[in-house]
This record gives sequence, C-alpha cells and structure tokens, in this order.
Amino acid sequence: MIEFKNVSYSYNVVDADGNAVDKGGVSNINLTIADGEFVVLTGGSGCGKTTITRMINGLIPQYYKGTMDGTVELDGKDISETPIYEIAKHVGSVFQNPRSQFFNVNTTDEIAFASENQRRVPLEIKSSIRETASSMSIERLLNRNIFELSGGEKQIIACAGINVLSPDIVVLDEPSSNLDFYAIERLKEILQDWKAQGKTIIVAEHRLFFLRELADRLLIMQNGEIIHELNKERISTISSAETEKLGIRPLRLDDLQTDFQHREQSDITITLENFCFSYSDGEHGIDIPELEVPSNSVIAVIGHNGAGKSTLVRNICGLEKKFKGVMRYGKKTLKNKERLHNCYMIMQDVNHQLFTESVKDEAVLSITDASLSEEEKEKKALDILSQLDLYEYADIHPMALSGGQKQRVAIASGLASEKGVMIFDEPTSGLDLSHMKQVSDELIKLRKLGKTVFVVTHDLELILSCCDRVVHLEKGAVMENYDICESNILKLKAFFGKEAM
Amino acid sequence: MEKKFEIKDLITVGVFSALYFVVMFAVACFGFIPIFMVFTPFLCPLVAGIPLMLYFSKIKHFGMITITGTLIGIIMFVIGHPYPILLFCIGAGLLTEVILKMGNYQSIKHCVAGSAVFSLWFLGMVIAFFFSFREAYFASIVDGYGQEYVEAMKSYTPTWVFFAMIIMCLVGGAIGGLLGAKVLKKHFRKAGMA
Amino acid sequence: MEFGVCSDKSKAFIRLDPRSKLLLLMAISIIMIGGTTVGIEGVLRIICAAIPFLLLLSIRQYKAATIYLLLLGTALFCEKQVAPYTHGMCNIILMMICGLITRFVAGYMMGWYTVKSTSVSEFITAMEHMHCPSFISIPISVMFRYFPTLSEEYKSINDAKRMRELGHPLKQPLTYVEYILVPLMMSTVRIADELSAASLSKGLSAGEKRTHICEIGIGSIDIVAIIGSITMFVLFLVY
Repeated sequence: MIEFKNVSYSYNVVDADGNAVDKGGVSNINLTIADGEFVVLTGGSGCGKTTITRMINGLIPQYYKGTMDGTVELDGKDISETPIYEIAKHVGSVFQNPRSQFFNVNTTDEIAFASENQRRVPLEIKSSIRETASSMSIERLLNRNIFELSGGEKQIIACAGINVLSPDIVVLDEPSSNLDFYAIERLKEILQDWKAQGKTIIVAEHRLFFLRELADRLLIMQNGEIIHELNKERISTISSAETEKLGIRPLRLDDLQTDFQHREQSDITITLENFCFSYSDGEHGIDIPELEVPSNSVIAVIGHNGAGKSTLVRNICGLEKKFKGVMRYGKKTLKNKERLHNCYMIMQDVNHQLFTESVKDEAVLSITDASLSEEEKEKKALDILSQLDLYEYADIHPMALSGGQKQRVAIASGLASEKGVMIFDEPTSGLDLSHMKQVSDELIKLRKLGKTVFVVTHDLELILSCCDRVVHLEKGAVMENYDICESNILKLKAFFGKEAM
Repeated sequence: MEKKFEIKDLITVGVFSALYFVVMFAVACFGFIPIFMVFTPFLCPLVAGIPLMLYFSKIKHFGMITITGTLIGIIMFVIGHPYPILLFCIGAGLLTEVILKMGNYQSIKHCVAGSAVFSLWFLGMVIAFFFSFREAYFASIVDGYGQEYVEAMKSYTPTWVFFAMIIMCLVGGAIGGLLGAKVLKKHFRKAGMA
Repeated sequence: MEFGVCSDKSKAFIRLDPRSKLLLLMAISIIMIGGTTVGIEGVLRIICAAIPFLLLLSIRQYKAATIYLLLLGTALFCEKQVAPYTHGMCNIILMMICGLITRFVAGYMMGWYTVKSTSVSEFITAMEHMHCPSFISIPISVMFRYFPTLSEEYKSINDAKRMRELGHPLKQPLTYVEYILVPLMMSTVRIADELSAASLSKGLSAGEKRTHICEIGIGSIDIVAIIGSITMFVLFLVY
C-alpha cells in the first residue's frame, strides 16, 4: 500500500540570474493506493504527475533537491528514510526518454542490471532472463546493442528488466511518449500481464486511450493538486467530447470528431522523383519512384516503425549526401543541395537545433537575405517572434524555455529562413492536450503563410485536427496517398488499429 | 575524500570524461592533416578545455578529476599506448585536483589553471618517443652505425621539442579554459544550467 | 574506438580473460619500447611482436593481422635493406619512422585486439574481480555507454547545423566549434541528470557490491599467457 499523507513539495532550482527559487511540485496531496491497484495520473505539463511518480520510487526527496512536507509511506515505511536501493527492490521504474534510461550498452546486461544491483545470484538472474524472454517473446532482442533498437524496443527492454527483478510496484512516467501504435499495443499487453500478476501500477501519461481497459482509477491533476478523480466505470464510458472538456487527451479514439472545412486544395503540386535510398545495414531504406502531393498543405507521413518515414523526410531535406532523387516544386527542380536550401526540419529533439544565446539571435541567424541591414534583420526577427507569441522571450536563452516554447523558437528560425517546406518530426510526442492543440494551430498558421508542411507523426488526434493529406509508408514504399475527407477517414482510422474504429 | 561519492557524481565523471575524451580524439584526428600535426598538443587542450570548464563547474568534491585522469589513462593504455601514459594521466589528474581545491572548486582563475595543468597528461603519449624509446633505440643502432652517426641523429631530434610541447599544452589548456569560462557565461548561466 | 558490445563466443578460437590481456599489453609495451635487438631481448621482441598477430588471427581479424604483418615487414626491410643506401636527412627520417613502427605498432595492435575481443561487461567484471573500486568501475561503464550516445547527438546536431547552413570549419573555426560543442555540452548535462535518476531507481548504489551475470574466468590458455608474460618480464629485467 502506498500512502501520501498531506504531501507538498517544491523543487529548488537556480534561475538565470543565479538565484535559488522554488518551482513546480505538488501541494496537499492525500492519496492512498491499494495493493494491486492500477492508477493513472494525467494533466497538463507541469501539473505534478511526474513528481508523484518520483515520490514513489524515492527519487524525491533523495535525488531531486527540494522542500518537502508531509510523508509518503510504502507499506508503512517512510520513503524519505529508506535508501533508494532498498526501495528499488520493491518499486520498478520506466521512464519517458528511452535514450537516457539505460546504463548498459548490451540489452541482456541491461535486463539483468537492476537484479545485479540487488546482488541476486547470477545463475538465478540468467534463468529469469530466459523465462522473461520467452514469455514476452523477445529472444531476438537479447544480447544486442541497445543503440540499434527502436524506441519501442528500448521500452520493452526496460519492462523486461522489471519482469526479471519482479517488484510489487511499478511506476511508469510517460512510457508511451516516443512509441508508435504497435509499440503501444505491446506496452499495453505487458501492463495487462503485470496487472494480472497483482502488481500495483502507477502510470503518469498524456496519451490515455491504451489505458482505458486497464485503469482502476484516473486522477486528473492541475497546478500540483488532484482536481478530478474518475472511477473504473466512468473511465470505460467517457466520451472524447467529455475528456476534452476536462482538458485531457481522449480515452477512446473511435468517436473522435473532425471538421473538413479548412481544407482547400492548392493547384501547384510537389513531386518527389526517384526517391530511392538505402542504408548500408539494409534497413529503413525507401523506394519511391514518384510521389505527388499538393503544395501549401499539411501532409501527414504515417507508417510503422522502420517503414522509412525518417529516411523520407531526411531526403526531402537533402541531408543524405549521395542521394540522387529530385523534388519538383511547381516549375523548379530541386536537387539535394537546393533542397537543403529550401527545406527546414523541426527535429524531434529540438535541443539539437538551437545554437545561439537568445531567442532573437536564433531568428536573426536564420535570415540569410544579405541585402538587409542588421536593424532590418532584427526587426524582421521580432516580427516573426511576435507571430509565434515569443516576443516577450526575445532576450532569453532558448535553453531556459519550456519544451513547447523551444519548438516554437525552432519554427521561428525556420520562418526567418524563408524556406518553403517545413518538416516536423513527431512534434507532439509527449505533449498534453493543450500543447498538442497549440502545435496543430501552428501547423495551420504555417499553411496560411503559404508553406508546405510535412509531419511525421503517430498522433491520430493531431492528424484529424490539422492535416490535409496522408502519405502512408510501409516497408519503404508508398502504400497510400490520399486527401483527408469523409470517404477516407475510415481508411485512416484503420491504420491506427481497432482502438480507433 | 571528504565525502563518499554519490551515484550522481560518478555518472557526471563518466559522461564528462567521455565528452572530454571524444573532443580530444576528434581534434587529434583533425591533426592528421600534416600542418596541424605539430600543433595537436596545443589545439587539443584548447578545444577540449571548453567542456572541461563545464565539468569543473559541476564538481562538488575531491577526487573526481583524479578519476577522470585515471579513466583516460586506462583507456589509452588499453588501446595500446605505452605504459607511461598511466602515470601521466593520474599525475595530471591529482595536480589539477589540488589546484581546483585551492580555489575551492569555485574560482574561475583556478579552473583555468586547472585546465592548463590537466592537459599535461597529453605528454604521456609522446614521452616514450623522446626518452625511453630514443635512448634504447640509439643504443640498439650504435653497434651498427657508430657513435658519430648516433650523435648526428640525436641532434636532429632534440629533446627541446618535448619541452616546447609542455608549453604548448599549458598555453592551449589555459586558452581553452578561458574560452570555456566565456561559453559558460554566455550560454550555461543564462540557460540556468550551470 | 569502441568495445565489442556483444560477446560472440563462437567466433573466437582462443578466449583470453581480460586480465591476461592487460598483462600481455603491459609486457608488450615495456619490452618493445625498451630493450635492444640482440641476445635474449631480441628473442623476447620477436615473441612480443608475434603475440598480437596470432591473437588477431584467433578472433578472425584477418585484415588487421595482414596490415600489421605488412607494416612490420616493410619497416624491418627498410631498416635493414633500404636505409644503408640512403644518406643525410633522408636516412635519418627513414630510420626514425622505421624505428617508431617496429617499436610501437605491436602495442597498438595488442590494443586493437583487446578492444575487439572484449565486451564492455567483460571488461567491467574483470576490473571488479581485480578489486577495482566502484568509483572507477561505474564511471568507466558510463563512459562506454556514453560514447555511442555522443555520436548520435553529434549526428543530429550536425544535421541541424547543415540545415541552417551555419559555420564553416575553416572560415569560422571558433563559431563552428561553438555550434557543435555547446549543444553537445547541453545534452551531456541533461543526460547525466536523467541517467543518474534512472540508475538510482534501478538500485545502483556507490557503496554496495553488485553481482555480474557476465562470466569470465582464468582458463588454461590464460595461465599460459600469465606465466609467459611474467617469464618475459623476469628475463627482460635480469638481462
């Protein structure tokens, strides 16, 4: 049993001027989670759900420094007085970012890692790894290099490690953020197994649809407090319209609504020709002799993991040096180099594409028009920033901003460069409802500005709210290429599995 | 050691040592262009000094830099560098540690000095070329070629080159440290990350 | 530079314990650098030069073994047959280069073998068997885990840089370095933080001993290697 008794917590952080400030956290949490219960925590970014998970695995207060009141007890023992490695025996954790939660390079070592830390006998660990591998059917993932696995496979390795350690409690902090639909299905099966084994499970999540049949309780948080609590019955019946009113992502995908009003066709087309490319390992290649899409529209690129989506957009951008394919944009024919000059990609991890010391400089840096004076450049940059509600942050360091704001800074620098094609790689992974809507509004805005936008995404809600066209890739080839309209909506939903039908 | 290492410290040591090592390595590869070859002892510490300064700012207690030195030594040895590298790496680490300690891990001046001194491990890679190797090599050819020949050869490969390298390392490391301090101020303080 | 990730036992003819590899490395680097080419020391040098070659063959690194053989052969040939016919500066440069190759290449090749034949977990397990404290073994595992991450991060930063057509390495070297290093450093800070949290929650602790599923052990070949290295040390020091 986990008990939160009147718990308040705030993080101690240092702001840009070097002053210590308190930030975020939770206040007055009273919560009891019974053994074997499946609890889902949700709410906007910064609502405090991650803080709750960190209090269960002991990272708060022992790793993250802050001010804490009240007590959290795990089977009657105070968490703040139990060493983390003791807690780790009883509580397994899965984190949001599959890239940074691994200590080992080899998958088998990683699965064994938590058990090794508990000093279990090696032979015993090995036999549980074998059992786990066959029960989860992941034999092919054993003894591999973790860096060769997809995000979904990495998350499965994390779950396998928990299976081997076999704790009574599992906390998961946004485990689905980086996963596609297949991987989410797998995750759901694993959660189902754990639930059947009687484990207590706590999931902090934005995307909720895969938890509908599993959750016993859904807690909605805001500003560090629990504001709504939904019971099992309510969870299974609540409609998308109602969840939207509560400010959370839907629990079901089958009744999602969309309006087809804003979509009108442009007559200029973009044609990709001879888009064939393969990597030396033979995977993730693409083979697209010709693909025609309307310009000045928002095009969703969908497909399962390894279908070649990233390869396609990388090549649209002109990032692969030896690539031969061309893009015809109206009357222009663009080769690799020229595409690099005309396309701009907002990467999944925007941290990699912000270089300067202030938001304004970031936009100025992208203005390549040599005829402009410094003042004109600055004025233009500020114009763009105000279009994206970033004006007030003009002098702030981009890295001091939140994730969504950073993404907008990247969009701003794309706009400043005046490139015609903007590409987004998974722009809504790990975003809550309001931020997802914001991204969707930004994409629509870009289209109004005359841009052609490609979005690689696994997010059905995003596609329904702003995209005009769908390009469906499978095994490197274009399987479908259609407009989003009433007659095609079933085809689209079918891709997203039985949940969406 | 004043305090036991925490996991956070050890992981900080690991990632920053890796970053430092990779930057060193990358610049050294750049050094395969012949003109730059002579300047590697200067250029490597200069560029690697930038992440090193960020690392210094994350150090909370005694021993972390010495560990970094030891790790670099172990890796260099394992990939086949002659054994003096181990002594140089650990020595440079300890010396840097003492300098940083004198500045209480806060003073920028001490950090810059630390960056200069730490880069001296670089010499561990070349010392064998100058001393033990040179002497042994000349001793081995003296029979065949005669003392005169060996003397002539010695004059072409003077030991002052080694001392010039010491200076290059120190100056490169110090400039790297200053650049690093600038980068910290420009980016990391402003972003609330240091 | 990277260690093998997965130990594939079927591929190697001879499996040495990482500890014997380290001992051999030490022996080779000491004997090859110091010492003359005559008498017992000459014999020891030949043995030390042969060990990396045989070991490279044993893990099917035929290309590396061939390169090593060619390099060493050419250097020896030049030293003995070509150098006597040259004069002045030319002769000295040739002699120096040949000398460097004959004395250092064996060590690097042994290093290459060690890196190629040892997985990270074998190496760490061996270190802990040698009573290496956790404040060395934990950072070293983290380093090996962070190398591939750094290369992934670098690739995306470089892509982003190319997309924005920023910084030319020769025209603006400082800006170029800044645009690569700063995002890389930012990532490092972030990943250090996330990785620490994840490792703690998986029960890693600086003070406690851990077990290892990785199996290493001293076998008969290791005993030969260890006795061999020690004998060579002794002979080298005595003569």
